[in-house]
Amino acid sequence: MIRHILRKEFTDLLRDGRFRWCAAIVGVLLLVSLGSGFVETRRAEAAHTAARETARDHWESQGEKNPHSAAHYGIYAFKPRLPLSFLDQGVDPYTGTSVWLEAHRQNDFLMRPAQDATAGQRLGALTAAQVLQYLVPLLIILLAFGALAGEREQGTLRQLLATGISRRDLALGKALGVAGALALLLIPAAIVGSAAITIGSPGPAATPFARGTVLAAGYLAYFAVFVALSFAVSAWVRSARTALVALLGIWVLNGLVAPRVAVDLSKWLHPTPSAVEFARTMEREVSSGVPGIERPDRGETTARLLAEHGVETVDDLPVNVIGVYLQESEEFANQIFDRNYGDLWNRFERQGVVHEALSVAAPLLAVRTLSMGLAGTDVEQHRHFATAAEQYRRDLMRRMNGDLAENSRTGETYIATEDTWAEVPAFQYDAPSLGWVLRNRTLSLAMLGLWLVGAFLVAGSLVRRAEVA
Amino acid sequence: MILRTVLRNEWRLLRSDRALGLVLGVFALLFAYALANGLAWVNFQEQTLAVAREGNVERVQSLEAELQRIADGGRPSSPFRDPRSPSVLGGASGAQTAVLDPGPLTALAVGQSDLLPYYYDVSIRTNESSFLQNGEIENPLNLLVGRFDLAFVVVYLLPLLILALSFNVLSGEREQGTLALTLSQPVSARGVVTAKLAFRAILVMGLALGVSLLGVLFSGGFGSPGRVALWCAAVAAYALFWFTLAAWVNGLGRSSPWNATVLVGAWLLLVVVVPAGVNITAGLLHPLPSRVEMITAQREASNEAVNQRSELLARYLEDHPELAGGVAADEANRAALAWAATDAVNRRLEEVTSVHDERLAAQQALVRRYRFLSPALLTQEALLDAAGTGDARFARFQSQVREFAEHWRTFFVPAILAGEQMTADVLPALPSFRFVDEQMREVRARAAIPLAALGGLLVLAGAGAVVRLRRVTGPH
Repeated sequence: MIRHILRKEFTDLLRDGRFRWCAAIVGVLLLVSLGSGFVETRRAEAAHTAARETARDHWESQGEKNPHSAAHYGIYAFKPRLPLSFLDQGVDPYTGTSVWLEAHRQNDFLMRPAQDATAGQRLGALTAAQVLQYLVPLLIILLAFGALAGEREQGTLRQLLATGISRRDLALGKALGVAGALALLLIPAAIVGSAAITIGSPGPAATPFARGTVLAAGYLAYFAVFVALSFAVSAWVRSARTALVALLGIWVLNGLVAPRVAVDLSKWLHPTPSAVEFARTMEREVSSGVPGIERPDRGETTARLLAEHGVETVDDLPVNVIGVYLQESEEFANQIFDRNYGDLWNRFERQGVVHEALSVAAPLLAVRTLSMGLAGTDVEQHRHFATAAEQYRRDLMRRMNGDLAENSRTGETYIATEDTWAEVPAFQYDAPSLGWVLRNRTLSLAMLGLWLVGAFLVAGSLVRRAEVA
Repeated sequence: MILRTVLRNEWRLLRSDRALGLVLGVFALLFAYALANGLAWVNFQEQTLAVAREGNVERVQSLEAELQRIADGGRPSSPFRDPRSPSVLGGASGAQTAVLDPGPLTALAVGQSDLLPYYYDVSIRTNESSFLQNGEIENPLNLLVGRFDLAFVVVYLLPLLILALSFNVLSGEREQGTLALTLSQPVSARGVVTAKLAFRAILVMGLALGVSLLGVLFSGGFGSPGRVALWCAAVAAYALFWFTLAAWVNGLGRSSPWNATVLVGAWLLLVVVVPAGVNITAGLLHPLPSRVEMITAQREASNEAVNQRSELLARYLEDHPELAGGVAADEANRAALAWAATDAVNRRLEEVTSVHDERLAAQQALVRRYRFLSPALLTQEALLDAAGTGDARFARFQSQVREFAEHWRTFFVPAILAGEQMTADVLPALPSFRFVDEQMREVRARAAIPLAALGGLLVLAGAGAVVRLRRVTGPH
């Protein structure tokens, strides 16, 4: 019996001009956004790969100089695009794309693409994720709002139930019909998406298929929540019109109101300092230290080295005091950077948790966080890259200061050979594993699961009690 | 006379309709919430700028104290930071923070003010790469989503309120069977619809404009009445567009559910799909020029500059006899050499940047053209421009900071080249930055384009509505 209902619902939907139009629009938008995202990601990644090579080339061919001058010259790191970022560009336009790794300081990521875009472009980018998060649920609502309320209004619900089918089976059949109609739209998109992943992008490999599978499952769960919600409302309210209005209300709350409320709430709960304040604090702490993190003193370093080696003058030391002192200063400053940047990043992450927690009112917030996480475009993975870049900087400085300390003596003019630069390994970034991403996103996963179970339970209960007329 | 009766009747109906009252109440809350958010943001910006201004004063005071101490025979606290040296005094230790006060109506529209920098530290080190800096510290996730401000409520949610109130002004009467009765009076369908919509428009616009003016009042924006007027005009034009569209759809003579579907579809298309579609088209057809190559060019320039410092100085002095003040290249001091290299890098950067900026401006002009496809985009532009949080005001700030940096350089560079030392006497004469805000005339001229386009759309929808409503005679 369910099969009959399913087939009837499915055929009805296919014959319905409204559905055909809406599905065509959403389908085209989905395919176009997938395609353009793919092209854009490859373009950006190609540009970054080229820039990365040039940056390395600059570093290696900087000529003979003192290692500390080389440290000041530094090197630029460019943020790679992960293979799945074509599905969801996430926060990428709002994080910088490159960072200068130089002596003495941890720099901010610069060049946010959004800063070069117009205000109008902030109203929304059309990525595949955006289509899946906003437009597909809307399509589901349009497909399903009248499923029960419409039959009831037309008086056909009584006839249907007279055939002996249970309300539950009727609703299930209809829901599967809706799912079948959606599949017509989603399966081609999934094929295009998988093809894009197979062709791949030159970025760091990050288990794209595993990530993609979980992503697809997440979105399916999100759609299922909307199907269940639509049936619940359709069973509950008297007229199809009321069902539509109520569901559109839910859609607006879910997609428009809740995300922005989350922004304000997160800022209110976990305020971040202004850039001026942040820079001031850092400057103050770097110049005079904080309790427990004392600024190294060159005199003390010299005295200690003299004592360690049991010699009287710096000329007798087997190391260059400047090199040792510079490295100690680096290590001191690193602790200050860790303190300040660590605090800032932690605040960002706590703000992210507010967004996730608010998904209790709007499933979009859960699926969006999950989607960005799997696409590798969330704040946490930006931090992951920033941390890796900073570790590379620290290693680079350690090598430069070590070279200065070991290969020269205090006070002498030391010029390192050109090979010194090529001996430094190139910056290699490994994207985090799927497990790492999912561990970060447990709250979103739980919320999505909760919504799925909750929506189905509520839908089941409302459908069972649905009135005939 | 009859119209007044219609209006009075509507008022009674509204008061007895609980659901409608609830919707209006919810919107009043949303407006209040949005306003509170905007005011909090302005407050944050003002506090931040106060800190920045204080920093300017403190830096000058500490330099003054240090210079005084040295003049009295003391030694500079660090040989690298001797404030008598013009490259130190004009460099990071004497840097001045140039600030942009929040736009007069920032409390109403946060706009680009959370993304674009509203203060820069200016010193002789300022060059084109200084303008690559980020704006205020902000979670990228929050930047992505955007703020819940009045502009958001107006652009996204207000149309929904309007549609909920007016999708059935005529179809509802027909479905209840009251249309025939109404039209039997000496009144046309057009008159009835106009009266009913006018009543709703007064309510909705009263709410939207009332809250806007309240926001202006709280944030002291009445100093720029022209901007307030522009804001109100944009809100009113946008709201009227949706009312007129509703009138048109009602004039088509279909059922209420049909009207609702079509109007919600129009909202979705114009407010959600088209702006996103514009983005994707812009991204594909007019890709953003990459900033990455700027870094490459900067590096190459600095490599060259370091390698040929003394040569550069000779060339620099030839190029700038006015700054050299009689310094010959062979008596060059270290600071002068360093400056020549810096200047060469800056010149090269300016070249690269100007090419990039031209491409960016062309790209943005192309992208901006698409705004005519959606009243939401037009309204957003007009609202941000009125508020002073749009792209134009920030671009103006940046170009003034650029000029100021040039001014700052011409103050210090001759002294650097001449190897002069500075004293506390120069401190009162230091250049200081003051943002010259846009003239109302400029803002009006800029906002006239989206407003005129919005007006055009309004007239179009209005004409459609008039034509259709004229044909409405009674129940079919």
